[in-house]
Amino acid sequence: MQTDAGQVPFVWEKLGKVFDPKAASNRPWLKEFAQAPASLVLDDVVRIYFSCRPPADAAGQYVSRSAYVDLDRRDLTRIVAVAEQPILTLGELGTFDEFGTYPVSVIPHDGKLRAYYAGWTRCVSVPFNTAIGCAESTDGGKSFIRLGPGPVIPYSIDEPFVMSGPKIRRFNGVYHLFYIAGTKWKLVEGRAEPVYRIRMATSTDGVNWAKHGHNLIETVVEADEAQASPDVFFADGRYHMMFCYRYSEDFRNHARGYRIGYAHSPDLTHWTRDDRVAGITVSAEGWDSEMLSYPHVFAVDGQVYMAYLGNGVGREGFGLARLVSPMSWGS
Amino acid sequence: MIQRRLGKIFDPTDHVLPNACVEFAQSPQALEFPEFSRVYFATRSVDPGGKTFRSHIAFADMAKDFSTVLRVASKPVLPLGDLGSFDEHGIFPINVIRNKGQVWGYTCGWNRRASVSVDTAVGLVVSDDDGETFRRLGPGPILGPSLHEPFLVGDAFVLKTADLFHMWYMFGQRWVREHADAVPDRVYKIGHATSRDGIAWVKEDGVQILPDRIGPDECQALPSVLHYRGRFHMVFCYRDVHGFRSEPGKGYRIGYAHSADLRTWTRDDAALDLQGGAGDWDSDMQCYPHLTLSDGVPYLLYNGNSFGRHGFGAVIPDLA
Repeated sequence: MQTDAGQVPFVWEKLGKVFDPKAASNRPWLKEFAQAPASLVLDDVVRIYFSCRPPADAAGQYVSRSAYVDLDRRDLTRIVAVAEQPILTLGELGTFDEFGTYPVSVIPHDGKLRAYYAGWTRCVSVPFNTAIGCAESTDGGKSFIRLGPGPVIPYSIDEPFVMSGPKIRRFNGVYHLFYIAGTKWKLVEGRAEPVYRIRMATSTDGVNWAKHGHNLIETVVEADEAQASPDVFFADGRYHMMFCYRYSEDFRNHARGYRIGYAHSPDLTHWTRDDRVAGITVSAEGWDSEMLSYPHVFAVDGQVYMAYLGNGVGREGFGLARLVSPMSWGS
Repeated sequence: MIQRRLGKIFDPTDHVLPNACVEFAQSPQALEFPEFSRVYFATRSVDPGGKTFRSHIAFADMAKDFSTVLRVASKPVLPLGDLGSFDEHGIFPINVIRNKGQVWGYTCGWNRRASVSVDTAVGLVVSDDDGETFRRLGPGPILGPSLHEPFLVGDAFVLKTADLFHMWYMFGQRWVREHADAVPDRVYKIGHATSRDGIAWVKEDGVQILPDRIGPDECQALPSVLHYRGRFHMVFCYRDVHGFRSEPGKGYRIGYAHSADLRTWTRDDAALDLQGGAGDWDSDMQCYPHLTLSDGVPYLLYNGNSFGRHGFGAVIPDLA
């Protein structure tokens, strides 16, 4: 419990890689990647939604699909079931989510479940654009139907492109959507790379959103630092955010790739960044020795866990860590 | 009914245009000055390789009866957007209003897509020099896709009333192929949004305000509204979804509707009855209409054959 402005670093026990997409069979849409884990706690299992890819097409291009794996609630390293089908179809010709639905974040709403997801389209001058859509499930989260063919969080005057990485939360009776918005495309050796920052929107109905309109998290490694996966929870009397960040150029390696950052806030709008609190970094060897990304923190049965990605941004799956330092979750 | 035909009033090949543009003067839209009328239009530069174009905004200052061209913009009016932005590959058209002592422009920005040819969104630009040049209020659009308007939001026309800004605009409904091997064609309709400040807009989201005349795949674009003699008049253009480039019977024509309250519209194309002249510049197609008052006289500016490749013309409509 903290009474001063600082925060004692978290202490995590790594439980190792939990799900490897290559272990799945008879699912042609699930060949590589298990990205952006996001939890839904059910009676007997913890359902972890993730995004995956079938093999690339003849032109080397991927589509992303979203699915889930059910983990035994008594032992989260034990897989009970894997989705039989992707949870959501791809969008129609010309729509924002024609070429991918990734990542996804799920929350109960009005007796149903709602998924917020980034939809991917392909462009000509840059490789892609994304916007955030919404879909509903009436079968307990196995399948979702989109509320409409367009996005609920589109590009706007100061968020011009690459709206992605949605995480849906409900605090004080109001929906909060944390997401990323692109700020620029940088041409790096002829390849267009997006720079993005963490943003927030609020809503009472989950469909009509008011954008907060400001970057929530300052940059640390460089002015063009890219930040993703803003994962917010309330504990010990304050809001906490885990996220990931990387350099804007030459980032597909150990030195400049994703790491997990941290910030805390009294009110969800003013955030103090302090990455040392995250308390987790790359391992000396193994599946998470190069980079760490897409943190997601959740609590179940008195324990707090973090799901995250390792090397290759989830190409080989996701893992879990268990919090061993004390935390009063939700209060 | 048409009271008088002025014929073609502007040919882009008669002038030196900014951005090395040669042909096309599309979607003329006027801003009235005491001594002249400034007509903005979209012209085109050719990309390296010669196969693709980019639309740019330019203008011509014309006599108030649109009989002569006084001056043409000599420098770029508005640069295209940055890499990856909604208006990177073209701006066409622009709708201009006077607001807060400035000139505000509502742009339609174009960006190229992989599976379909293009997407569009509405941007907002502001001029502090009476409309000679414009700057963006931000890099993104003020009106883009939404839950029930998934793409191709554009062609904004803004009308400032005493208490509210109204916008009529185009939104896409679907992309369809004429046959399995054909490139996709788009279906779009006209929608309505309102705003208190001209910046933050509330859409009706997916509500088509005009009925179709030639079936559910009718494409409706470029609304323009004028208050004249106690009622609101709207012109727009509409066409078939396929074959509209090459088959005259399927190309753009100009439609008409009227309203007393800006909420409900009665479509009555026959009341305007704008026909192309046989063998004339607008014989095969009439498109991108714009209603404007000049010295109190209503003019209808529009493009003719080939989507305005060879310029624009005007008529004086008899607005009842």
